Amino acid sequence: MTKPDVIIVGGGHNGLTCAAYLARAGKKVLVLERRERIGGAAFSEEVFPGFRFSVFSYVVSLLRPEIIRELELPRHGLQILPLESTLTPLPNGDRLVQWSDHDQNRAELARHAPRDAEAYDEFGLLLHRMARAVKPLLRTAAPDPASLRPGELFDLLRLGRYFRELPEKDLHALWKLLTMSAADYLDEWFEGEALKGTKSASGIIGTLLGPRSPGTAYVLLHHYMGELDGVFRAWGFAKGGNGSVSAAIAAAAQAHGVEIRTNAAVSRIRVKGGRASGVILENGDELEAGTIVSGADPRRTFLGLVREENLPDEFVAAIKRYKFRGASAKVNLALGELPRFTCMPEPGPHMRGAISISPSVDYLERAYDEAKYGEFSRRPYMDIVIPSMLDPSMAPPGKHVMSIFVQYAPYHLNGGWSDARREEFGDTVVNTLAEYAPNLKGAILHRQVVTPADIERIVGLSEGNIFQGELSLQQMFFLRPAPAWARYRTPIHGLYQCGSGTHPGGGVMGASGRNAAMEILR
Amino acid sequence: MSDVLVIGAGPDELVAARLLQQAGHRVTVVQEHALHDRVDGWAPAQLGGLQTTRPDPWLRTNDGLELFADVQRSAQSIGRLSARDAQRWPEFCERMARLAGLLEKIYLQAPPSLIDLRFALRVRRLGRRGMEDLMRVLPMPASELLDEWFESDILKGALCAFAVRDLQQGPRSAGTAFRLLHAHVGSPRGVFRPGTVDVAPLRSGLTMREAQVARIDVRGGAVSGATLANGETLPATIVVAGAHPGRVLGELVEPGWIDPDLVRAARRIRSRGVAARARLELERAPQWPTLTLAGTADDVERAYDAVKYGRISERPVIDAVADGAALDVHLQFVPHTAADTADIQARLVKVLQPHVPPIRRVSVRTPVDLERTYGWPQGQPHHAELSLDQALWMRPLPELAGYKTPVAGLWLCGPAMHPGAGVIGAAGYNCARAMQKS
Repeated sequence: MTKPDVIIVGGGHNGLTCAAYLARAGKKVLVLERRERIGGAAFSEEVFPGFRFSVFSYVVSLLRPEIIRELELPRHGLQILPLESTLTPLPNGDRLVQWSDHDQNRAELARHAPRDAEAYDEFGLLLHRMARAVKPLLRTAAPDPASLRPGELFDLLRLGRYFRELPEKDLHALWKLLTMSAADYLDEWFEGEALKGTKSASGIIGTLLGPRSPGTAYVLLHHYMGELDGVFRAWGFAKGGNGSVSAAIAAAAQAHGVEIRTNAAVSRIRVKGGRASGVILENGDELEAGTIVSGADPRRTFLGLVREENLPDEFVAAIKRYKFRGASAKVNLALGELPRFTCMPEPGPHMRGAISISPSVDYLERAYDEAKYGEFSRRPYMDIVIPSMLDPSMAPPGKHVMSIFVQYAPYHLNGGWSDARREEFGDTVVNTLAEYAPNLKGAILHRQVVTPADIERIVGLSEGNIFQGELSLQQMFFLRPAPAWARYRTPIHGLYQCGSGTHPGGGVMGASGRNAAMEILR
Repeated sequence: MSDVLVIGAGPDELVAARLLQQAGHRVTVVQEHALHDRVDGWAPAQLGGLQTTRPDPWLRTNDGLELFADVQRSAQSIGRLSARDAQRWPEFCERMARLAGLLEKIYLQAPPSLIDLRFALRVRRLGRRGMEDLMRVLPMPASELLDEWFESDILKGALCAFAVRDLQQGPRSAGTAFRLLHAHVGSPRGVFRPGTVDVAPLRSGLTMREAQVARIDVRGGAVSGATLANGETLPATIVVAGAHPGRVLGELVEPGWIDPDLVRAARRIRSRGVAARARLELERAPQWPTLTLAGTADDVERAYDAVKYGRISERPVIDAVADGAALDVHLQFVPHTAADTADIQARLVKVLQPHVPPIRRVSVRTPVDLERTYGWPQGQPHHAELSLDQALWMRPLPELAGYKTPVAGLWLCGPAMHPGAGVIGAAGYNCARAMQKS
């Protein structure tokens, strides 16, 4: 490749998305990935012979439909298999299953609390409406409310007008979602402990907050955004694991002419006279480009790849106080047989959905209580899928892979993480789950435990935060990652950011990458 | 001129009553609960003549930290814990005072609408730093705000005690930075504690009677008066109620006049009390005006943990203000269902004993007692918990934020209304002004 127009640092899904959009608009783009593989935290690997895992990121939740459409991802190999149900086993041997089938779901809810069956549809409608109100915000850069520049003032007015046109009732409902705790919010609607527990769990994912912490209600919305776009409940599973999502985006990018280099770790972004001019690789090579885009998180970008002296003090201070505090871990199991849950021992469609260990709000809150003082939860929250039930190619015939997302495993563990603590944590997870599925321990052939410290070491997410920084109110929208620098630009000319550490952040969504590309092309 | 009935005799109701009386209405105040003269908070100048007293030092811990109204003097005391914190204290006070200044203006008028252009412009006038502070700080957990500024655990812990006061949240909960600011509004720079106001003068010249209201009477969609528990009817064309909106709309107004969705929402307003109050008589007067036993921010958080599961904190956060040889004590966290004083008293004495002169007598009031005595729903002095989702344009509910109800002539003026208790009489003042405008 001759000198590229744009160099993208990091081949995660946002970097690849940004690259694809830039190349589509005619730019010559080079993606540099430190690891031997692309995908960032969204990759699949044959961890044990015959058993493939989505090692970290494991479900497709919020991948923007416009990205799937515009980049023609299905043509590039993306196939999403829906997760059709959520099973919540309860300690007393009962269960709650949320089904995709409306009548079946209603009957199950009514079995636990008749009022909940009534409230469920109304709740869904309201959240749909809220999700629709928020959706345009995901597609655009966040205007800076303090700016005096005409362009930004215009954006600000447009945003103001957009909100003024929303019914005031919806605005207030949105405010409530932004400021309330998931538990308080759900208390206004539902009675059933298992339902409230399982629903509130979506508010705590990726964050060192409990279901009773204000600010967690907002994430409930995320579950309703995907549904809007015709994908069931926003949660699906990519055939071949989450690496397939990255692979499809990469294929789309390459089809537009993007060059992707792996094993190409960038050690520094070169800045001359306040302008980014290229990158220096760890092997000493220097590459030039007029535009550099970092897909790494804000801390790695501004306190690692760029020298502090090239940045204003206040900006550096803002990046230093930006919170990561990873709290999520993964346990990946290779199983000789399917687990048999006491509450539903026979194999059935429920094994093709999610399984959630979240019997009540108090259960989750207690798990959080331990984590906030630096211990991992002794009885953790788990979100489990068995990908081999949906895609048999993930495991040898008759055998299975199980992906367990666990909270809380705080990055800042008292005494720090070690091999022994990691295994101790793995035992805690298996023991807790075995209380609901007694055959589990005997079925385990191999076990992989990944702590936030491992996530940081392997894919470079600071403190193992899966969202490149907490999605708390003071780190969202025009404050993400720093006030005045939320529009993918940075204080250095020609240097942009495109990772989840920018608005709107979140899981495998791609919105940051796409929005960044739009901003660069402006 | 018309007949006005004011239900309740708290400072908000009294201020509303006075303003309406000054406007020429014939006002009767129905006093349902015990009167209390000394109320926590500050008195806005608009009300005229009320004195706000504050202990100085306004904060004193058992580790010797003392914070004064004099910022430099506080910095000296902080300097014994951390030179860095001492150096940052004046700037912290300055930045917080700016935000509190904006809140103070907002507090003495009806809450702005969420999309109010004038409010937006006023926020923009704070300048870039002020705006960023406002938008970052309000939704923050107090512990994070304080971590950004300070390193001393003692200083941070003590301030956290005021950031969670009467709130069922810990300092790690989002929005407690707003609560800390609320405690600062109306106070001199560097003081993050509400004072005490003697509200007795507000009662002079008002017609008051002691009675329980059983029903607010409505005829043809407009109030016609109230019926007392003894069956007596008091006719009025305007009724101003200071009670919790859930009680006013859900119990006092006859069913059928108000949209059931609104009634349900009013009943759902979160009003959990989390503190017990106590009065201790001591052998002799203590040598200090106030004592705060909070420990670190984590200690305050742990105290909160207990109440989530309906338990009294093992080591409650205690704040005592001396009144001669007696102490007025605020003890948090206590679940709102707590009725048993023995347990609370034991913990109070255990924590306090080492730091005070010999204790002669203790009388504890639980949230249940506080509800019975003062009519605070579930013992919550703010009636509606002062969390971000129940503040400003959301207070107590967006539909009721203008102090008006769907029943013509029925108004709400109690602590559940914007800006809440603590700003003495402000809800009553705003309510009366809203009535005069309409």
